[in-house]
Amino acid sequence: MKNFKKDFTLISILLIPIGVAVNVVAGELVEILKIPLFLNQIGTMIVAMVAGPWVGAVTGGVSKLIFGIFNPTQLAFMPVAMASGIVVGLMAKKGFTKNAWKTAFTGFIVALVAILIATPTTVIVFGGASGTGSDTITAVLLASGKEIWASVFTQKIFVESIDKILSIMVAYMIVRKMSDQYLSKQKYGHLYLNMNQNKHNRKIGA
Amino acid sequence: MERPGKFILNLYPTTKFLFAFCLMMTPLLLPGYLYSYMVPVLCLVIALIAGKTKLYVNFVLKGLVPIVVMIFLLQSFFYPGDTVLWSWSIFSIKQEGIHFSLQLTSKILAIGSSIVLFFQITKINDLSRALELMGISPKATYVLSAALNIIPEMRLQLLRIMDAQKTRGVETEGSLTIRMKAFVPALTPLILSSFSSTDEKAITLESRAFTARTKKTSLHHLEKTKSDHVVRALLVIAVVSILIGRFFL
Repeated sequence: MKNFKKDFTLISILLIPIGVAVNVVAGELVEILKIPLFLNQIGTMIVAMVAGPWVGAVTGGVSKLIFGIFNPTQLAFMPVAMASGIVVGLMAKKGFTKNAWKTAFTGFIVALVAILIATPTTVIVFGGASGTGSDTITAVLLASGKEIWASVFTQKIFVESIDKILSIMVAYMIVRKMSDQYLSKQKYGHLYLNMNQNKHNRKIGA
Repeated sequence: MERPGKFILNLYPTTKFLFAFCLMMTPLLLPGYLYSYMVPVLCLVIALIAGKTKLYVNFVLKGLVPIVVMIFLLQSFFYPGDTVLWSWSIFSIKQEGIHFSLQLTSKILAIGSSIVLFFQITKINDLSRALELMGISPKATYVLSAALNIIPEMRLQLLRIMDAQKTRGVETEGSLTIRMKAFVPALTPLILSSFSSTDEKAITLESRAFTARTKKTSLHHLEKTKSDHVVRALLVIAVVSILIGRFFL
């Protein structure tokens, strides 16, 4: 509990609304570009990487609350988003977001946790449906004779693993591009300092 | 038309919340699905009176209807059961599946539409002020209202960045790979610039004694009126009579 309070400095609290807005806007960008994925937890992951698991969890929770204003079914998936934030934050603390391969592994763990939490929610609360295009996978699996739990579980493996691993790779790329001066002010920013070996390649202010 | 609409919109945020909460909970108490299907209609009537019909219908259609349709398709075809109503080669609609879908979707529609209604008739700024008055930390309510205020600003910024990147030659239309490639150049500048604005925000808030441990005053004025007490009393009467009707009669 002591650690929990310590993570919430003023700078970390200010990161939460920005992380939430990034989640929402990235989700809309995916729709504008017509990409068949969600990619709406990138903000949560960035915040979890630089400000720790608990701030990440709050970012995930608040973004589902905001998504819920437009689409109430999203509220049921709040625990998934919070767990994603916690897992990314804990793995980041252990140094598992320091290079691309380790980050991909973190993404895999996040996807695993997401599948374990999202499958029961989808089956029990929504009878296996999600109202998105991925329902076709569930329907095909059901038609092939699988029962509902197995079908939803398999569908989530497809969807969540691609979605979460891609999201965390984008988050990792963006954190790497943050300036050392900015990262040094963040609680866990020191993890990513001196990562940019070729400094001349970096754009100023971006 | 003006007066009843104003009456609903001017209610205290927690009164509106209690009302929405009752709409969500009563379908779980009552058996059958007929009452539950009445809730979205009731919400529509309230939205109509409050003058928020367009947004309410829009969000219900976009957020709730697709999932309800999918539940019907999945469950009526694949729910285990013997009473076949209609069949075509290997596919068949079963009575049990329809019944299960009706039960499930009625609850989802009732809960979902009351949440939509609540957020349509309540301003988030009013809600966060009410939460503050209830003793929730101003930091928490700041997070909520700041997030909602940043989103439109960031949306505009995103469109600006996308235009700029298009000018540079980043393609945003075409095959899936081309569109995927456009994702990162559009998002990176947006995220980096908005994250780097936190420093200035911290200084601004600090200069207004955001973290000072004193009692804060607010320019935002909220007050419970007589109508709040009336609505609350009516809600209590309604819930108690439903409970009595359900468990004692």
